[in-house]
Amino acid sequence: MDELRAELVALLPRLRRFARALARNAADADDLVQVALERALAHAAQRRPDSQLAAWVFGILRNAWIDEQRARGRRARLFVPAESGAEIADAAGTAAPELLAVQQALARLPEEQRLAVALVLIEGLSYKEAAHVMEVPIGTLTSRLARARETLQSLLGATEANG
Amino acid sequence: MSFSEETLIAYADDELDAATRAAVEAAAAADPLLAQRIAQQRALRARLRAAFEPVLAEPVPERLLAAARGAPTRERADNVIEFQARPRPRWSWSQWGALAASLVLGVFLGPLLLRPAGAPVDTRGGRMLANVALSRALSEQLAGTAASAAPIEIGVSFRARSGAYCRTFVLREAGSLAGLACRERSAWQVLALAPAEGTSSAGGGYRQAASALPPPVARALDELIAGEPLDGAAEAAARAHGWKP
Repeated sequence: MDELRAELVALLPRLRRFARALARNAADADDLVQVALERALAHAAQRRPDSQLAAWVFGILRNAWIDEQRARGRRARLFVPAESGAEIADAAGTAAPELLAVQQALARLPEEQRLAVALVLIEGLSYKEAAHVMEVPIGTLTSRLARARETLQSLLGATEANG
Repeated sequence: MSFSEETLIAYADDELDAATRAAVEAAAAADPLLAQRIAQQRALRARLRAAFEPVLAEPVPERLLAAARGAPTRERADNVIEFQARPRPRWSWSQWGALAASLVLGVFLGPLLLRPAGAPVDTRGGRMLANVALSRALSEQLAGTAASAAPIEIGVSFRARSGAYCRTFVLREAGSLAGLACRERSAWQVLALAPAEGTSSAGGGYRQAASALPPPVARALDELIAGEPLDGAAEAAARAHGWKP
């Protein structure tokens, strides 16, 4: 258990990066990481001995994200959504412009495509590992990646020359 | 030889077997356009990775270090919707009485009842029921239709797993409270009630509708809801049938 905790601490920077690719702002991303850590420690016994720690915790974080999206989707319809504007302003104040531009492009992708991009392009997981985390066949992962890349090329391509 | 976009992407992602990889490289050497398409895929990957690289160098917040070490901590960043950290208990309808008692009476309603404006509920037979004004709004008002000056706004309507209809609401005049009530035995039973978030407490002036449900109410909603909230047509139909399951 102590070994697992030490490994989780070592994995924290990558977990935060992965969550940052999914969530819309840094605070939400860190909350997501915290939930994933709590769940990982609570379910440590269920981890298969041969599974990579990173892939296992990424899977937990992904599930936590999906749970949160469902709950948020319901809440978003409850009251006046005053959120989006504030979030962009918040992000603009703290994030580097390049990160902001990339995050905004990612935000335009459907959830499942964004997950595929975060796992493969940003976290550098293999197709096999990423498909395992997302619980889909490799063919599904690669077609999501292809569609996501097409969208991202068109969104980011125009600014690339300036960057 | 021509290659599909997926093959080129797999090449850029270093996922091809040696033979296909060699074939792509040979073709790219002879075809500048193909080489350019591969370069674009690689550039995109490099750009995304570089953009997120600085996150790795950020100091990790103390609360996350504590969580990774398994330290008990409940602190979360302010003004962020609370995440569901633990598996949800599956409350049944028969347990709602207990849920209401612990949520509403014990924790949240106690202090609220002492407010000068009073509480929008009546206690009857151990149940917290909506008072006359709140009941009328819950029975008659459609979600999101209240004028900005209306004292009660209905947030969303949904069916609980028990089959009962439930609705969230915001009371603007009682010091701004948000809550959740379900139709049970011909009455609206209030199952959660808490000070609304995102409202200015400074006296007077226009209060904006809460942009987020208070966590206790959001939690109650998450526990109770079956499927998705009702759309406008389903809500109107439910109202026409008197909110009977």
